[in-house]
Amino acid sequence: MNDKLKINKLYALSSEKKKYSFAVPLKNKIRIGKRDYIVQLKSDEKLGTYILWKNRKYPVEIVRSRQNKYEILFNDISYTFTVETPFSLQRMKFINSAKGKPGQEIVRAPMPGKIIDVLVREGSSVLRGEPVVILEAMKMQNEIQATVNGKVIRVSAKANTNVMKDDVLVEIKVE
Amino acid sequence: MSITKILIANRGEIAIRIMKTARLMKIRAVAIKTSVEPNAMYLSFADEIYDNTDEVSEIPVFLDIEKLISIALSTGANAVHPGYGFLAESAYFAQKCLDNKIIYIGPSPDAIYKMGNKMIARRLALKNNIPMAMGSEGNISNEEEAVEIAEKIGYPVIIKAASGGGGRGMRIVRKSEEMERMFITASKEAEKAFNDPSVFIEKYIENPKHIEFQILGDTKGNVIHLGERECSIQRKHQKLLEEAPSSALDNNLRKKMGSMAVQIAKAVNYYSAGTVEFLLDSDRNFYFMEMNTRIQVEHPVTEIVTGIDLIEQQIRVANGEALKLKQEDVKLKGWAIECRINAEDVQAGFAPDPGKIESFSMPTDNYVRVDTGIQAGSSIVSVYDSMIAKLIVKGKDRKEAIKNCKQALDKVWIKGTKTTLPLFRLIVRNQKFQEGNFTTAFIEKDLDKYYFNSEYEEMLAAWLATKLFVEENLQENSINVDFKNSKEMSPWLMNKRMTQF
Repeated sequence: MNDKLKINKLYALSSEKKKYSFAVPLKNKIRIGKRDYIVQLKSDEKLGTYILWKNRKYPVEIVRSRQNKYEILFNDISYTFTVETPFSLQRMKFINSAKGKPGQEIVRAPMPGKIIDVLVREGSSVLRGEPVVILEAMKMQNEIQATVNGKVIRVSAKANTNVMKDDVLVEIKVE
Repeated sequence: MSITKILIANRGEIAIRIMKTARLMKIRAVAIKTSVEPNAMYLSFADEIYDNTDEVSEIPVFLDIEKLISIALSTGANAVHPGYGFLAESAYFAQKCLDNKIIYIGPSPDAIYKMGNKMIARRLALKNNIPMAMGSEGNISNEEEAVEIAEKIGYPVIIKAASGGGGRGMRIVRKSEEMERMFITASKEAEKAFNDPSVFIEKYIENPKHIEFQILGDTKGNVIHLGERECSIQRKHQKLLEEAPSSALDNNLRKKMGSMAVQIAKAVNYYSAGTVEFLLDSDRNFYFMEMNTRIQVEHPVTEIVTGIDLIEQQIRVANGEALKLKQEDVKLKGWAIECRINAEDVQAGFAPDPGKIESFSMPTDNYVRVDTGIQAGSSIVSVYDSMIAKLIVKGKDRKEAIKNCKQALDKVWIKGTKTTLPLFRLIVRNQKFQEGNFTTAFIEKDLDKYYFNSEYEEMLAAWLATKLFVEENLQENSINVDFKNSKEMSPWLMNKRMTQF
C-alpha cells in the first residue's frame, strides 16, 4: 500500500518488452526531444473515442483489460501493455530472474487466443512434449505442450475462454 | 425483349454498384432483404425490395437457384445480375434463367461451363496456341507416369487436383525423389476434399506476377480487351491490392497478351464482361491460367483508366446490343489502385474479425472512389465475406497514384473491427512495391510484418494504457497523484465499464 504514496513514475511494457516510462501525475503532454507535445483523449458521437496528437486524430479502443494488463487498439493496430510501478517492476525483474519457484514450471500462452480444450487436470502426470492445452489463434489450433516431466499442480486455463499473451495456463511440478 | 427490371442476386457493395448503373439507365432494380442483414445499406438503393426475412432455409438465398428464379418471376424482373461470388459462375443458374425467359446478365451457360472446367479450358487454350505452363495432357494415373512427365517438362512442377480449388490437393515438387510421396499425398488430399483423386501436373512458375486482362464481348462475335490489371499483391490466392495498368507491361507486351486474351474468349463465343488471368515470369514469358466468367471485385481500376462503365456494358450486351467500342477506341489514361479493406486481423494471420462498424468515414477527395455496402451501424457478418470497402485511388501516373493512396489511407476512419488498413499503409511505403518490383510472393516473402505504424503510435498507445491504469488504480489514496478532485469518472471510462459486461 505504501507503494502508491511514493509513485512518481509508471512504466508501460509492451509484449516485445519495450519500456515506456511516464511521470505521475500523468500529464497530457509528452516530451519528444526538446519539445512537449499535447496528447488528448477525446470522444464524440461521429468518431467515437480517439487520441488527438500533432493535429491528427487516431482511433483508439480498449480491447481488453485485466489487472494491470491492457490490450489497446490504436489506429487499427493491437498493442498489449502491462503497466508497472517502480516497485512492481523491481519485483517482476526479481521474479523473472528467479524464473519461478525452483522445481516448478509455468506454461504460458505463447500468443493471444481462445482455449479450445484443456487436456490435463490437477494431479495429472505429464511428459515433456505432451500437449496440455489446445489454443486457437490465427484460425489455427495450437497444441501447447508441457515443457518438463512432472505433475500438474494448478490449471488456470479454462475451455472456451480467451487468454492474452503470457497468461499462465498450467503449472507443473518438476519430477 | 429489353431489360426493364433487374433482380440483383447479390448483396453488399456489388449490389449497390449494379443498382447505381441501373438507375442511370432508367432500369428498375429489385434487391432481396434477408434475415441476416435486414438493415443492410444496399437495400436503400433498390427500387423494390423482396422481403425474404421469413425464409428459414439453411443456404443463403443468393445460392438458392429455385428461389431466385421464383423471386424474379414474382417481382416481374426480366433480368438477373449475379454480381460476383455466390452463383456468379454457375452455368446451371445461367441456364435456369434462360429456361425461364429471364435475361442472365453475363456470358452464356456454355462459356461459363467450359471455362469453369480446368481441363476443358486447358484444352481450348492448347488448341488456340495460347501459351500455357506445360503440363500433362490429362489426368495422371500413377507415380511412374508423374515422374516421366515431370522429367519432360522440367522441375519444379506443381501437382493440382482436377476438381480442385483453394490450394487443396496442390503440391510443388522440386526434384524427382520427392515425386512419389507428393503424388500420393496430393491424390489422397484431392480425394478427401473433392471426392475425386484425379490430379494433373503443370510446370511450376516461380515468383510470377499475376496479370489479368479485362475482356468485353457482345453476342455478335465482337470481343475486345480493356487492358490489364496487376493483381500480384495477394495472400493465399486472395487478392488484396490491384492496379491498372501494370508497370510490368509495355505496349508491345500488352498488345500480345491482350490479343491472346481476346482469342481465348472467342474460342468459347464469349460475350459480356470476363477476365483472362495470366502468370508473367521474370523473362516476360506469360502463361494462361484461367478465365473468370463474371464481373470481378477489382473491376473499378479498369473503369478508372478506361472511363468505361463495365456494368453498363454488361447490361447493353445482355440486351442484345452490339459493342460500340472498337479495340482502337480503348485508351488507358492515368493509374488506379484499389485496396480491399476487409474486416481481418493482420496481426493474427488475417483471421476474419466480424462485428459492428461503430464509426465509418471515407475520404471524399476527387482522386478517390469508394465502393462499399457499409455505413456506421452496419455489421460485418461472418456468413458473408469480410469486405468493408474498396478504396480506389487514381493519379496521373503510378507515382502519383501511390502518393494519393498513402494520403487516402490515412483519412479512412473505421471503428468496431480490425481491418487490413495497416497492411496497405505498409505496402504503399514499401520500396519494392514503389519500384514495381514485386511478384505473387510479395506478401509472404518481402514483408516481415503485416502492418505499418508511424514512429510515435506505440508510445501513444502506451500512454493510453498508463492513463487507464492511473484512472483505475491510483485514484483514491495517493497523495502524489492528483486525481482526487476529479471524483466523477471520466464519461469515457464509465462508458467502457458499462459496455464491458
